[in-house]
Amino acid sequence: MDAGANTYLIRPNYKDKFKAGAVRECVREILREQLYGVQYNPDEVPTLTTSLADSIKNKLRDMGFDRYKLIVQVVVGEQRGEGVKMAARCFWDADTDSYAQEIFMNDSLFCVAAVFGVYYY
Amino acid sequence: MEEYHSGDEVSFSPDDASNVVKECIEGIVGGVDYSQNKVNQWTASIVEHTLTQLVKQGKPFKYIVNCAVMQKSGAGLHTANSCYWDTTTDGSCTVRWENRTMYCVVSVFAVAIAL
Repeated sequence: MDAGANTYLIRPNYKDKFKAGAVRECVREILREQLYGVQYNPDEVPTLTTSLADSIKNKLRDMGFDRYKLIVQVVVGEQRGEGVKMAARCFWDADTDSYAQEIFMNDSLFCVAAVFGVYYY
Repeated sequence: MEEYHSGDEVSFSPDDASNVVKECIEGIVGGVDYSQNKVNQWTASIVEHTLTQLVKQGKPFKYIVNCAVMQKSGAGLHTANSCYWDTTTDGSCTVRWENRTMYCVVSVFAVAIAL
């Protein structure tokens, strides 16, 4: 049966489900590619964070999580021994919706990327 | 009898949401200095309170609330988000707040349930 665009699917098919493990792996790859050996530079970081968020979104969109809306949040900070704490809470359908998070650090900067997948009924 | 409204008349208001967020931040970390022992509890309280207030509005949205607190030490911090969703129904807002000792950045994402 073809899952046409105008039908209401209450639950995602297993193959289309948001898989946190696979997403994390994909995010890790992107972070490593774009941040390996990069030094924190205040002038470049705004474009860097935006481009990270966009490339993660584009890569995941192509992974075929059918009917999922994706929210990508990227935080990049300078590594100076300061304390940072990040927290998230979600009000959603725990059966279908999920998230993945990945952290990258080198001696100059740290980066946290969180991806939330929200199913669209 | 309760009626179920279609998505046309409800939309996410970033301004309302950012007021809610600001109130929550002020209420929780408004008058305090950064403390490593408390920061876990603060971030948790901020996201939970914000979420509760948003959900109380009774709009047909799923919400994601994300909060980052950073100690001030002269170091830089940047956040960016990128969303793949329906811009006509879904929305987000980000609030940046600071006091003498810390920065707090809260992002709210609202994803419509009804079509």
